[in-house]
Amino acid sequence: MNITWPAEGVARAPYAVFSDPEVYALEQGRIFRGPTWHYLGMELELPEAGCFLLAHVGDTPVVVARDEQGDIHAMVNRCAHKGTPLVFVPAGKLERKRFMCIYHNWMYDLQGRLKSVPFEKGVAGKGGMPPDFKKEEHGLEKLRVHSIAGLIFGTISADASAFEDYIGADHISNIQRVCGRPMTLLGSYSQLLHSNWKLYMENVKDPYHASLLHAFNGVMRNDRLTMEGGIRMGARGWHHLSYSKMSADTGGEVYASAPLRSAEISVYGQGLRDSSLTDVWDDYGDRVTLTVQTVFPCFVLQQLRTCLAVRAVVPKGPGRTELRWTAFGYESDDERQRALRLKQANMMGPAGLISMEDGMIGALIQRSIKGDRDKASVMELGGRGIDPIPCSRASEGSVRGFWTGYRFLTGL
Amino acid sequence: MVRPDKARALLAEYAASLDDGRLAEWPMFFTVDGLYRITTRENRSRGLPLSIMLCDNRNMLYDRVEATEKANIYEPHYYRHVLSDSRVTKQEDEVLHVSTSFLCVRTMLDGSSILFVSGEYLDEVVRDEGKLRYRSKTVVLDQSRIDTLIAIPL
Repeated sequence: MNITWPAEGVARAPYAVFSDPEVYALEQGRIFRGPTWHYLGMELELPEAGCFLLAHVGDTPVVVARDEQGDIHAMVNRCAHKGTPLVFVPAGKLERKRFMCIYHNWMYDLQGRLKSVPFEKGVAGKGGMPPDFKKEEHGLEKLRVHSIAGLIFGTISADASAFEDYIGADHISNIQRVCGRPMTLLGSYSQLLHSNWKLYMENVKDPYHASLLHAFNGVMRNDRLTMEGGIRMGARGWHHLSYSKMSADTGGEVYASAPLRSAEISVYGQGLRDSSLTDVWDDYGDRVTLTVQTVFPCFVLQQLRTCLAVRAVVPKGPGRTELRWTAFGYESDDERQRALRLKQANMMGPAGLISMEDGMIGALIQRSIKGDRDKASVMELGGRGIDPIPCSRASEGSVRGFWTGYRFLTGL
Repeated sequence: MVRPDKARALLAEYAASLDDGRLAEWPMFFTVDGLYRITTRENRSRGLPLSIMLCDNRNMLYDRVEATEKANIYEPHYYRHVLSDSRVTKQEDEVLHVSTSFLCVRTMLDGSSILFVSGEYLDEVVRDEGKLRYRSKTVVLDQSRIDTLIAIPL
């Protein structure tokens, strides 16, 4: 592998890391199967014993299930015999409370222990497994699981630190803030992005673009860097939390005087015709109307006004990524709140008035950098390091934080 | 009474309007308090209410048009809808309920085309100001995974 990281460090990202198949393979081993935590699903998607859902940790297919004791287990979704997936629908319920491989009917319990193998003792005294074949040595490959506020995370590696240490106490508190009450599932969908997974993660971690690329934000005066807000970095700077308070836009001269696309659009002169799209109430008693939080490498928790969702970013090869959205509300929502959450969901997802461009921008970059593996992007807004600037989002420090974790794990 | 052949003509005009890029016409296919939503077969079968796009009145439809035409950025592309026969699922005095399968091919300016989405239109057609309009139009996509984005309504 021939990657030379520029001397400027995490203020640069060499273009080759977005398209090189060898880099992709290295990431799968060192990041995804390495000491990192990955979002797998929500506990409320597994209401009863035998319920399961499928997830991915990088390329590794994972099945998550609830057992008869109510405990949640995550296992590589692959029979120990031939590698057949044990379940192949996105979610469901195993009525018999066990996994049975369709191919040769090897059977596992909900904890992944191999319980029976057909013809283990042969047929009519002939054939069968060798006498020293031990079923307990051929269970499913287990992941360590950590549930926090109804969100299930898993890690393949025995070396990952405890989840709280991995992201840090401050970031735990925002997950508790957004998810720490009974939630209801509103639905899910996904997008196929024609770009490397890291281009999407850079985009999520970059508060610089929100009021610029997303002209809907710009013309609606949403999510502007002049609002009270900031970036808080998680443990080692790998994770980030960007927040802002809608009610406190402290002045727009940097928006009024700069050559910005949103200033050149005359649309919405009087605001939206239907203003319910921007109605907001304070769910948390802190006036914070926007939080975008990431857990390195691939998890996003969003509170976009009242529009709540988790996003799982799943690499599908060097140039393709699946972005999976799950939207939720709270059990305590009244009818109006539920209706508004569903309405404000217009801002997110593949047709999101705000998120739409994020589905495309990575693909444009992916195409334009293809031929030039020796060039690199330049990320110096807010300096070249990863120290957050107090109460400011005019920084790419959180993107540099991503590359800090990336370089640490890959050794690139 | 809304005649099925007239409802069919409305749908043909609706699809042609989108395929021709006449997005400004889109809101007037709906009544003032008309409902338009795009959802997926998966969310629908699980009883989950999330939409990919949801407008529950004509003002919201106009807001969406304005965003699509002026604010949102996406690579220019065209749709080509292909419609199946329409099936009357319920006939009320004032409302005709019809379902129609569709395929939508998306073509980019570089000439590449994909079968973008397929699905079903679940329509409720009423007479409004002397015209046929949608009181409700639910687009149920077969796909839960969308290629890149949906900028133009389906």
